[in-house]
Amino acid sequence: MNVAAQLRTTAVPDHGQGRLEVRNVSKSFVVNGAPVEALRDVSLDVAGGEFVVLLGPSGCGKSTLLRLIAGLEPEFRGSISQDGNAIAGTSLDRGIVFQEPRLFPWATVSQNIALGLKNAPLSDRAKREAVAAHITLVGLDGFAQAYPHQLSGGMAQRAAIARGLVNRPRLLLLDEPFGALDALTRARLQVELQRIWAHERITMVLVTHDVDEAVLLGDRVIVLAPRPGRVSRIFAISAPRPRSRTDDDLVRIRNDVLRALGDGEEDGSGGTPISGPA
Amino acid sequence: MSDAALRTTLEPRTTAVAGFRRISGRVSAAVLRQLTKLGWLLILPAIILPIWIVGTNHGWLPEQILPRPQDVLHTLRDMLASGELAQHAGYSLRRVAFGFGIGAAAGLITGSAMGLSRRVDDYVRPLFTAIAQVPAPAWIPLAMLLLGIGEGLKIVVIAKAAFVPVVMNTSAGIGNVPRAFIEVGETFRFTSLQMLRHVVLPGAIPPIFTGLRYGLTHAWIALVSVELLASSEGLGYLLVWGRQMFWLDTVLVAMIVIGVIGFVSDKILAVIETGLQRWRIDDVQ
Repeated sequence: MNVAAQLRTTAVPDHGQGRLEVRNVSKSFVVNGAPVEALRDVSLDVAGGEFVVLLGPSGCGKSTLLRLIAGLEPEFRGSISQDGNAIAGTSLDRGIVFQEPRLFPWATVSQNIALGLKNAPLSDRAKREAVAAHITLVGLDGFAQAYPHQLSGGMAQRAAIARGLVNRPRLLLLDEPFGALDALTRARLQVELQRIWAHERITMVLVTHDVDEAVLLGDRVIVLAPRPGRVSRIFAISAPRPRSRTDDDLVRIRNDVLRALGDGEEDGSGGTPISGPA
Repeated sequence: MSDAALRTTLEPRTTAVAGFRRISGRVSAAVLRQLTKLGWLLILPAIILPIWIVGTNHGWLPEQILPRPQDVLHTLRDMLASGELAQHAGYSLRRVAFGFGIGAAAGLITGSAMGLSRRVDDYVRPLFTAIAQVPAPAWIPLAMLLLGIGEGLKIVVIAKAAFVPVVMNTSAGIGNVPRAFIEVGETFRFTSLQMLRHVVLPGAIPPIFTGLRYGLTHAWIALVSVELLASSEGLGYLLVWGRQMFWLDTVLVAMIVIGVIGFVSDKILAVIETGLQRWRIDDVQ
């Protein structure tokens, strides 16, 4: 089956910026002297401005794939390119938000965000304005001078999102950014992230194991199967935005996705056929 | 804590009145804490001092071996007044200042290089460990032959004593900065210098200061050892000379001064350390 052809079917028009091409990517790690295959022959196209969710159980390599796209893991087979340029190392054109906020504890919120601009080609004044604007964007006005330990988990993650966006990357990678938050805060930040995505009009790739989060946020949900990590199914979600969790279409797709995940688990041989959009 | 709840608890700090009240409350609580701490610190002296007084009054030990506290105090006052004590302490302080300064600087450079580079660590650590295993006083006989018994000897021995803990803590501190923070720097394309300045050094400051404080303590210990063996001035010399003359009051005065200077210098380092880590001591909600 021609996977690539199917991957190109996207629900969102291509803005021509922040396009991502993942071609036949495989990645192995050596664990205790034995090679472990994390990803096998993963191909994926993301259109500019699209919101793509990588969904799968732990061990499916979704975080590894995100780290490869970020440029944090130099060695892999296959190719990854952004807007036609092969990825080599990290770039200010790709922001990343990790599961833990990873704010530097010795720096205030505004200093943490400003550190993201160290190598940006901007004047000091433009940097100050960018920091202030991004603090406002994530709703942290009044907390610019707070240290990370003074923030709640949700606020720290907002600051991390601001830091990930401050360089105005065309692609924002999010590695289970809300995984460590309580349900209420998570729900609020999911709505916030939708708003920011609509506002910034950039490409976002989010990794999660939360099906509700995936169908709420994604234009497409790429379901990965584990051991070795590979694309198992792709769901296109055309529900209008802003979306509501209780929307009938979303609930139906959510159930389909859950079923797909269940299939993947029973079918350990990895032979799950890739189906078209639900 | 939810964002909203935190917002309401954090926001009053922006108003001056609430800020002042909060600070004054914090100050009085801090004073109380300090007093309690001081109380605990004084318990041991409060037990020992009466025993000392009673013991000397009843002649439990000959006066040549354990002088009366008031005699020690008297000697202390005499030696302060004559400037003798200041002179000896001055010699010792200068030696520690130079020795510690050189040892700590060399230790910071060596430790940083070992923490930053796997290769430097591989090459340097075995030799360093071997040197570290031989205590500073054990270097004195060899160093004496090489350097004579002048100031150079003292400074080298003291520097070596300070060097070892500074290297160990600096290399460990820098090597243990979480990979997660390094990755954040990588995503922002930090240069090596930016990584050092904004990620590695701030992250390594607590262990580095632990090393510096150990280094200073070791420098004092080495000072006394080297002055005991090869000196005609300084607090360590005062100890030997006092013992030889059976002027135990002088010995005790020298011990007290060494202890006080060591304590004060450690406190100074602690204050600098706290100043560099305001983010740590700021009140947690």
